[in-house]
Amino acid sequence: MPPAVKEKSKNVAALPAKAPSPRKLKFQADLAPSEDSMVRILKTELQMTSNTDFLSDALALLRWAVTERKRGHHIVSESSTGERKILLFPRLERVAPEMTLPRVDVQWTEKELECLAELASGQPADPTDALIRAMRQ
Amino acid sequence: MAVTIRRLEESDEVEGFDCGDEPLNNYLKHHAWTNQEKVSIGVTYVAVDESAPRTVLGYFTLAASSVPRDRFPKKFVRGLPPYDLPLILLARLAVDKRFNGRGLGHALISEALKITLRVADEVGCRCIITDAYPDKAGWYARYGFLPLEGAAATDPQKMFLDVRTIRRASSIDSFPAERD
Repeated sequence: MPPAVKEKSKNVAALPAKAPSPRKLKFQADLAPSEDSMVRILKTELQMTSNTDFLSDALALLRWAVTERKRGHHIVSESSTGERKILLFPRLERVAPEMTLPRVDVQWTEKELECLAELASGQPADPTDALIRAMRQ
Repeated sequence: MAVTIRRLEESDEVEGFDCGDEPLNNYLKHHAWTNQEKVSIGVTYVAVDESAPRTVLGYFTLAASSVPRDRFPKKFVRGLPPYDLPLILLARLAVDKRFNGRGLGHALISEALKITLRVADEVGCRCIITDAYPDKAGWYARYGFLPLEGAAATDPQKMFLDVRTIRRASSIDSFPAERD
């Protein structure tokens, strides 16, 4: 899951004689120790020294992934033996055209969420006879 | 009757629809098309008969939703995957009262569950949730929907059906009557 990112705007003193330059944004990310470690390892592997370059490349990769899923393309890795793995990333799937059902927000009470979490994390129930008939229809 | 279930179309005749519940009638007549085609907050599927292919006999509405992981009480998240919980909302299901008792409700929920399974296979979805009137909760329970406790007194009963249960049902070859 991506870390929470706080956006900070840089305070720039206005200079009336010059045309305003494009404003740069500064990002501050709250990373868990494991994520921080992952960033360091990736930077080393990719021979990067700056966080700006790291974020820029990560952004380019994410942008590409979003564009591809918007076109309905799947993101696939293929091994040398032809074994394929398809990337399924829930946030990315939200932009996929196959997802034809529109999204809505559901209002939940705390108790309903407890109950939902218990049911969703448990073993699925056996199908009822009516359900089996419904799926056979 | 030779019933077909398909997406609601603009030229469908909905004015005469009467399921005996004014909010459900009103939704079909005044909001279903707009919500489907203009603001995209729900897709409505209608049951029509071959002999009158524009007259709506019953309908249901589906939408996608999810529960952010951080909304769940902390002590309950341990068994859940580390993502938001994607789900399908069966927002409405109604049959014209003139056609009650002909299996239309069964045909509609059957189609809704098959769509749920297709969506789950395509993009991932963990469960289907419905808002049931209290007097209809027993009907949904026959299909395996389980009540989610904790609804406000004036709200409908939320009910849950696991996609894994639906998938298991779809993989059973024999009719229940043929088993055992």
